[in-house]
Amino acid sequence: MSENKILFSTGNLEGLAEDIGNMTNTESSKLKLQPDNADSGLAKLVLTLVELIRKLVEKQAMRRVDGGSLTEEEIERLGETLMKLELKMEELKQHFNLTDRDLNINLGPLGDLM
Amino acid sequence: MGKLIYTIIKASEEPRQLTRVLSGMHGISNAEFLEVSCEGITAVVCDIQKTGMVAGHASAMDYAGVIEKLSKDFTLLPVRFGSIMETDDDIRKMLSGNHLEIKKNLLKVEGKVEFGLKVFCDTEKLKSARNIEPGMKTKSATEAGALHNNSVYLDYVNKKLTEYRLEESVLSYVNSVIEEITDCFAGFEASGKFNKMVSPANIIDALFLIKKEMTAELISVVQDLQTRYSDLNFILTGPWPPYNFVDITIS
Repeated sequence: MSENKILFSTGNLEGLAEDIGNMTNTESSKLKLQPDNADSGLAKLVLTLVELIRKLVEKQAMRRVDGGSLTEEEIERLGETLMKLELKMEELKQHFNLTDRDLNINLGPLGDLM
Repeated sequence: MGKLIYTIIKASEEPRQLTRVLSGMHGISNAEFLEVSCEGITAVVCDIQKTGMVAGHASAMDYAGVIEKLSKDFTLLPVRFGSIMETDDDIRKMLSGNHLEIKKNLLKVEGKVEFGLKVFCDTEKLKSARNIEPGMKTKSATEAGALHNNSVYLDYVNKKLTEYRLEESVLSYVNSVIEEITDCFAGFEASGKFNKMVSPANIIDALFLIKKEMTAELISVVQDLQTRYSDLNFILTGPWPPYNFVDITIS
C-alpha cells in the first residue's frame, strides 16, 4: 500500500483530502445511544428520517410546480404547508440541540444522505 | 481461535507459487498464512484470536496490503475485512458450497484491475454559471411567467423552485459528463459504476474494472477529459484489487 496510487490529477488534491476527511470523520453523523441520552439519540434518528421525507416531499412538490400542473391557489397552499413544515423542523432541531449536519448521515462511498 | 479469511484465489497452474509468495509475508498479529483449497480455489487465511482482534484502521490497512500484494500475482476475490470462520473444514465447506459463484466472479475479474475516477468541482461556481428560467408556471396561466400575487408563500415556493431548478441543472450537467466518460471508456470494455453528487465537491465517484495492461491508455483518456473539462478536477487512482466488482452472497 506504499506505492503512489494516484495515476492522474491536476495537482490539486485538496478536494480529495477534504472529501476523504469528511468520509472518515463521521462523528457527528453517528447515533450515540446511551442510557443517559436515549431521548436525544432517538430524536436524532427520528428527525433524520423526518427531514429526509420532508425534503423528498419538497422535491416532488417542486417537480409538480415546475411541470405547471398546479393552479395559483394550489401553489400558494403548497407554499404555506412547506414553509410551516420547515419552520416546525427548525423548532424541533433547536429543541433537541441538533444541526443540519447532525441530520445528514454520511453513507460512506455513497455520499451524504441529503 | 478462528481463521481470518483474506482472499479467495484461483489456483495457479504452478501450485507452489502461492506458497512461495506467502512464505515472505505475515498477517495481522504477525500470524503465518495458511492455504485452504477446494476444487481449484484457495482461501488465504491466518489464525486469529477472535477476542484479541482490533478492527481498527491499522489492521484494516494491513489486511488491504496483503490483498493488494497478492493481487499482483494472482486473480483473486477480496474478502470483507473481519470475515472469520471457526475451522479449515468450515472454510472448505464454504468454498465448496459457493463454488460456482466464486468461479463466476473469478472469471469476471481475471486479468483485470479496479480504477477509481473522482471528479471534483466548485459546485457553487457551477450553479452560478447555470441559466435558470425564473418564475412559476400555473395551470391557469396562458403563458409561462412569474406570478405577481404578493404572497409570502408564493415567494417561498419561488425560492424553493429556483433551488430545485439549479439542482436539476447541475445534475443534468453531471449526467452529461458521465455520458462523455462512458463514451471515452467504451474502447476499454470496462465495467463501470457511477455515484453522483457524493458530496458538494465530489460530483462523480466512478469505479472501473479494466484489463491490467491498459493503464497507460486509461491515463491518456483521463488527461483528454481534463483538457475538455477545465473547470473540473479529475483524479484517477489505481490499480486496486477488484473490491467493488465481486458480487457473491455466501451461503
